Amino acid sequence: MNVIVVGAGLAGLTAATGLSAAGVDVTVLEARDRVGGRTHGIEVAPGRWVDAGAAYLGVRHTELISMLTGLGLRTMSTDMVGASRFDIGGGLRTVDGRFPPLNAIALGGMFDALDEVTRLVDVDEPWRTPGADVLDRLTVDKWAAEQIDHPDAATFLPLFLGEMMAADPAAVSVLHMAFYLRSGGGLRYLNAFEGGAQESRVDGGAHQISERLAAQLPHPVRLNDPVTAIHHDDNGVVVHSASGVHRADAVIVAIPPELADRIEFTPRLPHTRTSSHTARGSALKIQLVYPTPAWREHGLSGWSISADGPLLSTVDDTPAGGSPGVLTGFVTGAEAHRFSALSADEQRAAAIAQAKHVFPFLGEPVECHITDWLNDPYSVGCYAALFGPGDWTRHGPRLTTASGRVHWAGTETSTEYFGLMEGAIRSGQRVVSEVLTAHDSRSLVSEPT
Amino acid sequence: MNAHDIVDIFRRILETNDIDVDSDFFQLGGDSLTATRILSAVARRTGTELTFDDFMAAPTPGSLSEKLAVVAV
Repeated sequence: MNVIVVGAGLAGLTAATGLSAAGVDVTVLEARDRVGGRTHGIEVAPGRWVDAGAAYLGVRHTELISMLTGLGLRTMSTDMVGASRFDIGGGLRTVDGRFPPLNAIALGGMFDALDEVTRLVDVDEPWRTPGADVLDRLTVDKWAAEQIDHPDAATFLPLFLGEMMAADPAAVSVLHMAFYLRSGGGLRYLNAFEGGAQESRVDGGAHQISERLAAQLPHPVRLNDPVTAIHHDDNGVVVHSASGVHRADAVIVAIPPELADRIEFTPRLPHTRTSSHTARGSALKIQLVYPTPAWREHGLSGWSISADGPLLSTVDDTPAGGSPGVLTGFVTGAEAHRFSALSADEQRAAAIAQAKHVFPFLGEPVECHITDWLNDPYSVGCYAALFGPGDWTRHGPRLTTASGRVHWAGTETSTEYFGLMEGAIRSGQRVVSEVLTAHDSRSLVSEPT
Repeated sequence: MNAHDIVDIFRRILETNDIDVDSDFFQLGGDSLTATRILSAVARRTGTELTFDDFMAAPTPGSLSEKLAVVAV
């Protein structure tokens, strides 16, 4: 059997690795000049890398952890030492710990409301959640207007959802928010660094996972080879890419749903994977590189929250070894759309000015890397596609359903850890067994008795 | 609100029954996000609005009920 995998991100490469191990002849086609998809490394000093894309993991990310072990990669703790800086009304403040100096009772009420709706959701089949039709019609901003009556909670919700799922509350349905939080392990797990989904990062960068998976495949990944069309019938698939025409027994489309919908399928697929309400995960990641992590000398962790942005939060991303100092800023949600419309010079100036405002002792950074995932043509957003009103009830039931010889993978097809690296890997594993069951030639040929 | 009422709140929000009046919220794995939900539940039941710092200083059901008794006077 031979199979074509479209997309050399974590999902596609997990699938390619699993199928190759089962003796399948696999060709991986990748649009970019690199593997890794929504993971991407930047070398900030010789041999020292930071994550411009997906970075974090926790102990519940069991498939990712076992993959890291198998590939000889190590994790490093994201432990933060020192105080945080907050600019969320009432001037800039330094506070011990990571919790914002807002009305705790108001935030508690908001988290209660989030927790309640998160518990309600049927995480395996969100469209079967009691009241799914109502929750899927309602956007989070409208829901919050009914649920939240304190200005501090109204200030914090967009920051929280930006951090958790790179979403503008106006862009996602309540059902999607509740599903996302539940899929990632619940409010507490998804929010936490220590003991949560941000407990560790990959020492040397998460991009190494895909690089190592790709290096172990029998055939090299075909880079710079975007797929434009897929013909599929009972006999096989014909995949048209920049480099030519590829025939196989089956194809696995392991790219974000918006991009999958742009492939021309013949015959046409019965259903699309997105609607006009599906939005892009709205995140830019900015890395400011300094000679040293000077905030540490001032008793600060590097963690900051600023309601007015553009860097809604910052975190110390200094590589193991302690230099150079890397301050990573997140621009998410509605702010990501505003910020990505600026010129590169304006973006850079705004990011540096804010870092100096929040950490006044910082000079000019040595380097400033801006990674705009929102407008990246081959990711079309990050962390993951945002399901808007109606999307879960319309597209949800068919996210993983193969159309004949066309199979689907990608973090958006995993109801476990949706949007995370763990979800991508689990989707790749799921599609391996799906393809082996559906198309294994041994199961098609009836044995003589 | 007595210490046993607060034990019930801890149990509900921390999702474990293994809690008594002397259990320390933060040693039980409670974090600041979860702490706000405790404060919110206490405020709803008693009308008394404690701060995050109050809770840090009195992180057990027993000590928190004593704090409430003092603040409410």
